[in-house]
Amino acid sequence: MQQFANPTRFLSLANGALPYIWAVTLILFAIGLYGALVTAPPDYQQGETVRIMFVHVPAAWLAMLVYTVMALASAVAIIFRHPLADVAAKTAAPIGAVFCFLALATGSLWGKPMWGAWWVWDARLTSMFVLFLLYVGYIAIWQAIEETGRAAMIARIVAIVGFINIPIIKFSVDWWNSLHQPASVFRMGGPTIAISMLWPLLVMGLAYTFLFLALHLISIRSEITTRKLRNLQIARSENR
Amino acid sequence: MKLLGALLRRDLILAARQGGGVGTALGFFLTVLVLLPIGIGPDQITLQRLAPGILWITLLLSVLLSADRIFQQDFEDGSLEVMAMAPASLELVALTKAFAHWLSTSLPLSIAAPFLGVLLNLRTEIIWPLTLSMIQGSLALSLLASIGASLTLNLRRGGLLISILVLPLYVPVLVFGMSATTGNPEVIMPSLLILSAIALASLVLAPIAAAAALRAYLK
Amino acid sequence: MDWNANHSAFVIASYAMSVLFLAGLIIYTFTRDARARKRLAQFEKTKT
Repeated sequence: MQQFANPTRFLSLANGALPYIWAVTLILFAIGLYGALVTAPPDYQQGETVRIMFVHVPAAWLAMLVYTVMALASAVAIIFRHPLADVAAKTAAPIGAVFCFLALATGSLWGKPMWGAWWVWDARLTSMFVLFLLYVGYIAIWQAIEETGRAAMIARIVAIVGFINIPIIKFSVDWWNSLHQPASVFRMGGPTIAISMLWPLLVMGLAYTFLFLALHLISIRSEITTRKLRNLQIARSENR
Repeated sequence: MKLLGALLRRDLILAARQGGGVGTALGFFLTVLVLLPIGIGPDQITLQRLAPGILWITLLLSVLLSADRIFQQDFEDGSLEVMAMAPASLELVALTKAFAHWLSTSLPLSIAAPFLGVLLNLRTEIIWPLTLSMIQGSLALSLLASIGASLTLNLRRGGLLISILVLPLYVPVLVFGMSATTGNPEVIMPSLLILSAIALASLVLAPIAAAAALRAYLK
Repeated sequence: MDWNANHSAFVIASYAMSVLFLAGLIIYTFTRDARARKRLAQFEKTKT
């Protein structure tokens, strides 16, 4: 029963916090979208197309943040054997995969009018694509292994190996890119960004983060419920 | 140490007797090398430009194709369980088996590749960098493949899963392998050094990851 | 936002896509949670 003590306390905490998190998410999205679609000026080079940035960049940030959360949770699971850590890592993955897909798709929609192509093998796009593959592999491991305990152990390794690999991929793809084409061609926006564009971007980033937080908490809750049900079913069939 | 030597010898003999390892991989290598020029067209200049890339990708795919062999058979007939109980740590067992895979499959391919490059009109000044980079790179490839093989041990859909899991790990090796063979003398040395670094890092990290995964399956 | 600007279709498409996928994710998460809780409640009700 001690194993359930922790999830139970977590559940009551999560259930108490969720309404506030949803409220903050809604407010942030309202402000962020207003800033993105109304107050932010069109870019002098890219015109209105620059507004894609406000949904593209936060999705890309979140795709990276969620993978970091996954890897950290997996490390916690290995080191402290905390029962919730595996659940947190498992439930984060599909959300992160959706963010990663959105980053790729909106990036493609941004690339077509800007570069004239839906896809270019630019350093960022390539590493983002590889990140998406890492998500797919991680989710596939949970799907492929039926026994939960074993799947958790394998998934931890996949998450952590992938996490070590991400900076190496980033570095290598940068190297590869500089070898093949001048990097400046594909630099978007430039390093400086006007305040009028920066604040909607940051607010949208926060809104996405809070959305992730809310979805993650709910997913953890359903995973705990599912596991509890399974344990009860097993216990009952053993009693018979 | 003696134990690991015996294990290495056993794996090499098994690979040689069954003819699976080198045979299948080399056959695949040749198939791609013959089919690709037919698909791309016989233009000498195009082939020459694509040659290093074709050779690298073929090497990568051949190693991937033979990756599941590293642990699969020994897991099925139970000998892996015996090895896990041996006085040597499972990390060293995993390292030895990956090393045996390198010696029996990847290394022969990486030595043969530059010669087969003649078929693709490979530029002569690239032959040395290609050979050196492939020898180091193939060690990293075998070790990384052993991670994938251990993670997907005994899974029904292991074949598909292993490619998804290993592909991200292969990207850096391919990038630096290619940059060593662009023919630009300034980047050859740094690329070779980075490849060595990758190979050494995988030499340390891959057995740890592989052993952890094997433990999950042996439990 | 000038809706008649060049390429505004791309802007609309990217926002629509983001909204669609995130809404789908939210709905999926909620239905899965509701289903899991319903199943557990049903199981506990049939306690023998």
